[in-house]
Amino acid sequence: MAFQWFTIAFGWAAVILFVALAARKVYLYATMPLNLRWEVYPVPHERGDRRGYGGSYMEQVDWAGEPPRPAGRGGELREMASEILLLQRVREHNPYGLWPLSLALHWGIYLLLFWLALLVAANWLPALTWPAVAAGGAALVLGVGGAGGLIVRRASRHALALYTTPVDYFNLAFLAAIFGLGLVSWAIDPLFSQHQAYLVSLLTFRPAPTAPLVLAMFFLLQAFAIYMPFSKLLHYIMKHFTFHETLWDDAFRRKGSRADRLAARQLSYRVTWAGPHIVTGQSWQEEVRERSPGSEAAP
Amino acid sequence: MSQRTVRFRDVARPGRDPLVAIEAPDLLPVAPAAAPPPAAPRARWLETYDLSLDGFSDLDLPRPQTPEEQERFVEAFLRGLEKLLDPQNNWPFIKTLKLSLDYCLRCQTCSEACHVYLASGRQEIYRPTFRSEVLRRIYQRQATVAGRVLGPLVGADIEVNFAAVWRLLELAYRCNLCRRCAQVCPVGIDNALLAREIRKLFSQELGLAPAELLKKGTRKHLEAGSSTGMTPAGFRDTVEFIEEIIGEKTGRPIRVPVDKKGADILLIHNAGEFLSWPENPAAFSILLDAAGVDYTLSSDLLGYDAVNYGVWFDDVELARVALQHVRIAKSLGVRKIVVGECGHAHKALCVTADRVLPGDYSLAEMPRESCLPLLRDIVQSGALRLDPARNDFPVTLHDSCNVVRLMGIVRPQREVIARVCAQPLREMTPHGVWNYCCGGGGGLAIMDTLNFSEWRNQVAARMKVRQILDAFQDTLDPAIHKYVAAACSNCKGALREAIARYGLQEQFGIGYGGLADLIVNAMVDLPQPYIEWDSEM
Repeated sequence: MAFQWFTIAFGWAAVILFVALAARKVYLYATMPLNLRWEVYPVPHERGDRRGYGGSYMEQVDWAGEPPRPAGRGGELREMASEILLLQRVREHNPYGLWPLSLALHWGIYLLLFWLALLVAANWLPALTWPAVAAGGAALVLGVGGAGGLIVRRASRHALALYTTPVDYFNLAFLAAIFGLGLVSWAIDPLFSQHQAYLVSLLTFRPAPTAPLVLAMFFLLQAFAIYMPFSKLLHYIMKHFTFHETLWDDAFRRKGSRADRLAARQLSYRVTWAGPHIVTGQSWQEEVRERSPGSEAAP
Repeated sequence: MSQRTVRFRDVARPGRDPLVAIEAPDLLPVAPAAAPPPAAPRARWLETYDLSLDGFSDLDLPRPQTPEEQERFVEAFLRGLEKLLDPQNNWPFIKTLKLSLDYCLRCQTCSEACHVYLASGRQEIYRPTFRSEVLRRIYQRQATVAGRVLGPLVGADIEVNFAAVWRLLELAYRCNLCRRCAQVCPVGIDNALLAREIRKLFSQELGLAPAELLKKGTRKHLEAGSSTGMTPAGFRDTVEFIEEIIGEKTGRPIRVPVDKKGADILLIHNAGEFLSWPENPAAFSILLDAAGVDYTLSSDLLGYDAVNYGVWFDDVELARVALQHVRIAKSLGVRKIVVGECGHAHKALCVTADRVLPGDYSLAEMPRESCLPLLRDIVQSGALRLDPARNDFPVTLHDSCNVVRLMGIVRPQREVIARVCAQPLREMTPHGVWNYCCGGGGGLAIMDTLNFSEWRNQVAARMKVRQILDAFQDTLDPAIHKYVAAACSNCKGALREAIARYGLQEQFGIGYGGLADLIVNAMVDLPQPYIEWDSEM
């Protein structure tokens, strides 16, 4: 019984730690200084046909005098959907055959989460049992095939192997192990009833006996959740910062705006760079007004 | 084939031997153009300078000789790395830098987007991720707990010695900063930004950058008024020269307004235009005068040179130059600044510098715009009498990366060409926001020390040569004049050299020029053609 309580406690600890650690990462990036504008077109929230050919509001004259434009979120959502569901950029541009394997792994993960949700729901809606079996089977096959295939592909293509570090292989092996254990446990539990029992015990805080293989799969999955925020596997969250806050950030600075306030604050930061053309110790605002160290500052 | 397998630990290999050799059989074919093989560096350079990356360099700095000198260099680099990762010292790009260091999945999706990598015959060291990975592995070793504890297990496996640091510096200048790689990255990692951050570290901490960018670039710009060395007095003389050109071409005197208080627009050209392509600023004056646009040039220090080399390598210099441009506009009381045909000046002044200037210098307070929408509006307004038959020759358009991919200004230049040219525009493949760089982006167009221009022409500009030939492939007869329109001074500089190097004008009749030149060439009021095909193009 103590062990069963431990499995429940560990499950919840994993969820809480994942949320807390991922939130901490997000907080760290969200509170970093506002970066300079550094967008790349196409910017998907551009409106009308401009979005298609990569145009911007700067194709017009006197754009700075126009009122703020509502962002075309539909374009962003479409762009995000094609990346999340189809891995569009990898499909179009990766020359090393990663797309089908990566797509399999990603869909394995999406279906794994869907499967877990269905298993819980099926506890009260038995009609969902077979959809859960289908989703689980597909998730496990795609996941183990995708992760395993990526390991082989990375190891066998020089252009990938040169860059792939042991920790990259570890990440993929970790995922392959979760899906692999899932497949093995499926063999002993074709309707995933043991998996369902564990999930329900987790949610209801009622310990239930569970097969060791099933527990092993969930233990790995939970350990992975704790590990993920320390790794680059959190990239799906960080894409908010790389895309929305950098590559798609095309807003110019308006008086009194958040960007205006942040920029003003950041200009008060001290510069300690030691290059001979820099006056070490001044604020950015003072630095910017220097034409040349030692010369009279610009007005 | 000269390609050798390069591993990351090779970057730290001491010695003078280059990691790779750039040889003709590996390079992207450019037939039917003549492609002379890459010239070997002079023996004296090999002894004096450090060419240990690829046998090329723009850095004419004597190699540190003693272990102590080399150690001091490495220590300064590491101090710079610390500042690069400090949110106060590097607030302009810390977030993007950290994301790009921490979240690259090493999938190599960006590789085929890079014209340098492709044109080199896929040399490993030019892969967009290679220099990023060198920086990343040094960063992991020096600045992360995982790297210190787990070392090679997380990739922290490059010894940080003089050889590695010097090669990293050189690597930063094998990128055009065109950011095509960022465009295709599934995670939004920006390898070009990492190249720029490396440049920035060396410049802002060690004062080390190609002389053309820092000493003869931003320093000269801020102190003398222009990176060309042109002083305010020299500029006024140049304006007189421009007025003479206009008189000769149009048959009537047109006064170029300078320092006109309260004008609607302050127009700032790249000062290189006045020296290398004076017909371009002259064309602007002709068509703005004809269209009745209320504009002025400035003779104030920096006011006549739109360039801002800081955008390529140094945030402090970027902000200083931009501030002077805006200050001059405010002192003249103009409503807005319009940037002439200069791509990087577009991006620096209209986009990147916005958040690094005091609030009263922001874009909202002093708008800064591209000249291209203005030119488009003028030709479409009917203010000029235009006859496209005057431009009855094949035209292709080279898109400046800074203008298209980094600002999203794609259609205006095409709408101009559609209005002033008789033949349909021959688009390059790819074009628009997916274009390839001319090979001169990121400052490389003006870097001519030691044998660097040989590398630029052989590798960086090669894809553009291929594209130009492809665009004109059915009309390569040298008797037929062909025009590569490029609304960017640095692109024109790179094209000028590439056209000469590959014999495109003599063999195929391919010339180049600006967009304003094309417009004026179509003006029926001019007694003679504006474009002179016989002159150096």
